[in-house]
Amino acid sequence: MRSRVVRVVAAVAVLSLAAACTSGNAQNGPESRQAFQPARTPDGKPNLNGIWQALNTANFDLQAHAARPALALMPAAPRGGVAGLVRATHVELPHPSVRSLGAVAGVPAGESVVEGGEIPYQPWAAAKKKENAEHWLERDPEIKCYMPGVPRATYMPYPFQILQSTDTIVMAYEFAGASRTIHLGKVPDSPAPTWMGWSRGRWDGNSLVVEVTDFNEETWFDRAGNFHSDQLHVTERYTPTSADHLLYEVTIDDPKVFTRPWKIRMPLYRRLESGKKLLEYKCVEFVEELLYGRLGVVDPATGQKNK
Amino acid sequence: MNARHSRPALPRAVAVAAAVVGVTAISLAVATSRASQSPTNPQPGTSPSWTHTKTPWGDPDLQGVWRYEAAIPLERPARFEGRDTLTDEEVKESQRLENEQEAQRLSGAEGAAVGRQSVAASPIRGNEYNSFWQDHGRPRQVYRQTSLVVDPKDGRLPYTPDARKAEARASARYGVGPYESYLDPDTGERCLTDGVTALMWQGPNGGHNRIVQSPGYVTILHEEYLDRRIIPTDGRSHGSVRQWFGDAVGKWDGSTLVVDTINFIDRTNYEWASIFTRPSETLHLVERFTRMGANIMEYRITLEDPTTFEKPWTAVIPITRLSDGTQIYEYACHEGNYAMANLLAGGRVEAAKRSR
Repeated sequence: MRSRVVRVVAAVAVLSLAAACTSGNAQNGPESRQAFQPARTPDGKPNLNGIWQALNTANFDLQAHAARPALALMPAAPRGGVAGLVRATHVELPHPSVRSLGAVAGVPAGESVVEGGEIPYQPWAAAKKKENAEHWLERDPEIKCYMPGVPRATYMPYPFQILQSTDTIVMAYEFAGASRTIHLGKVPDSPAPTWMGWSRGRWDGNSLVVEVTDFNEETWFDRAGNFHSDQLHVTERYTPTSADHLLYEVTIDDPKVFTRPWKIRMPLYRRLESGKKLLEYKCVEFVEELLYGRLGVVDPATGQKNK
Repeated sequence: MNARHSRPALPRAVAVAAAVVGVTAISLAVATSRASQSPTNPQPGTSPSWTHTKTPWGDPDLQGVWRYEAAIPLERPARFEGRDTLTDEEVKESQRLENEQEAQRLSGAEGAAVGRQSVAASPIRGNEYNSFWQDHGRPRQVYRQTSLVVDPKDGRLPYTPDARKAEARASARYGVGPYESYLDPDTGERCLTDGVTALMWQGPNGGHNRIVQSPGYVTILHEEYLDRRIIPTDGRSHGSVRQWFGDAVGKWDGSTLVVDTINFIDRTNYEWASIFTRPSETLHLVERFTRMGANIMEYRITLEDPTTFEKPWTAVIPITRLSDGTQIYEYACHEGNYAMANLLAGGRVEAAKRSR
């Protein structure tokens, strides 16, 4: 008698669990980390292997932003014209250094990926962020092909690959050929500050949670000048929400720069092309003219002697 | 060829400034390798107690941090002509020399730690500085091989006549210049890459290499220049995109990983690194990685490249596994490349002197 009750209860539980899973999958989609049961690796961990990419405008600006003609802008000259027919709306035009790119240099509009919309800067830091944005062309480390840091590497407009071993996970980014080693076992602290941080991972249910520390203060979060200090502590959570989606949630803590921890979240999409591979984007050679062209005896761009 | 094969990745002329760039990574490497276990098997060959370990998905397990630590010249020195192995006495003498040189290096007395040249014999000044940031980790390991090159039988690279001239020009200009623009230094100084076979000779420069396996892939992370190879072993065929590191496809042949690479791109734009490391567009590279013991791997490479060589050649390179827990660190070369600006400033001073 007793065993039959147990069996019936168990069967009901299994059925309702299955129903929950099904409806969870159907209703939630890539933005939710409910219920989806991911494939497993041979050693029983959620299988995150694959080539992934974000499809959003977070690398332009984590926060909500209207479309605009360029990242580097300059104010238009004051306009004359017929009084009453010309509105004196402030107009900003592409900076001369990017003007010839036309529509290619434009910034697409985007919703915020920041929870609550606001990044809680301390007052001095809010001022510095604004200044960074105004000096984007000289300051953004992406322009110089510097390693992008975390979390920015994840949502740059390039794919990245997760290569999952048993005690080590490699995250290989196409941009600048940057890589991270996620240590699942015990490792000592990083002996020095770094661009890509020092990553320790653990499994929490179906999620890979990575604590990233030991950053330098050189990287940015986006092309809008959002920045951090060497006190940055990033907690990333990668959760499979379907066979081809990961939910990427990040908590950013930096007591030197922000008044409280804040969060971003976005789906990541599997690159489904058959035989897709990560290719090289060794951009160092692409920025040498920018960084060094005028420093040598001869400028290779002109073939002329530098003054 | 010896000195060139084991040359530092940065020329001595730039080493002072470059050391500032590399010092973090290098000093970490020193600390790491001090803690490493000693090599268990100084001679190549399968160690009797070794049984192959497998990954949970059944591939032979090559994982760990590896580096080249041997004292074998790439090409066979003239004094060993006609012989592919050292005698017992030569092994002993070689071990004595390596121990002595390591002691000298640690005491700071030796200038050219890597090239094994005396300071006086080196045409380049300033290389004393290299001593502290280059490190073999311990005395280099002595093997019986008289050269890494095992085929052709004479142990010499079968350069075409043109390539031999280019190699001579390269040697003469290496570390000397002139450096007129950023295109003139080699790809190491430019923080681009040391080339796809760097595993075989980067050892002394903090050349730690981490192999990580996942189902269908073998990934090699080279500490230097952030170089990375993601080698698929899922049976796919070559792609058509030319890259610095070419297009690699791998397969398992028993316990050996065989990697076949074509579609290199030649944008090196210099003629003064050892030209065998240059990725010519006609290069066909076949690499065979075979773990011979817990801490030893045979890395066998065959290069076929009619632009540079008259016939294919093969080298057999012993690679050492460092102790569990050895890490590779971030080699932010480009991000801290103060050397380039200083090198070009020096080039302008030299040019001004010449025109006076």
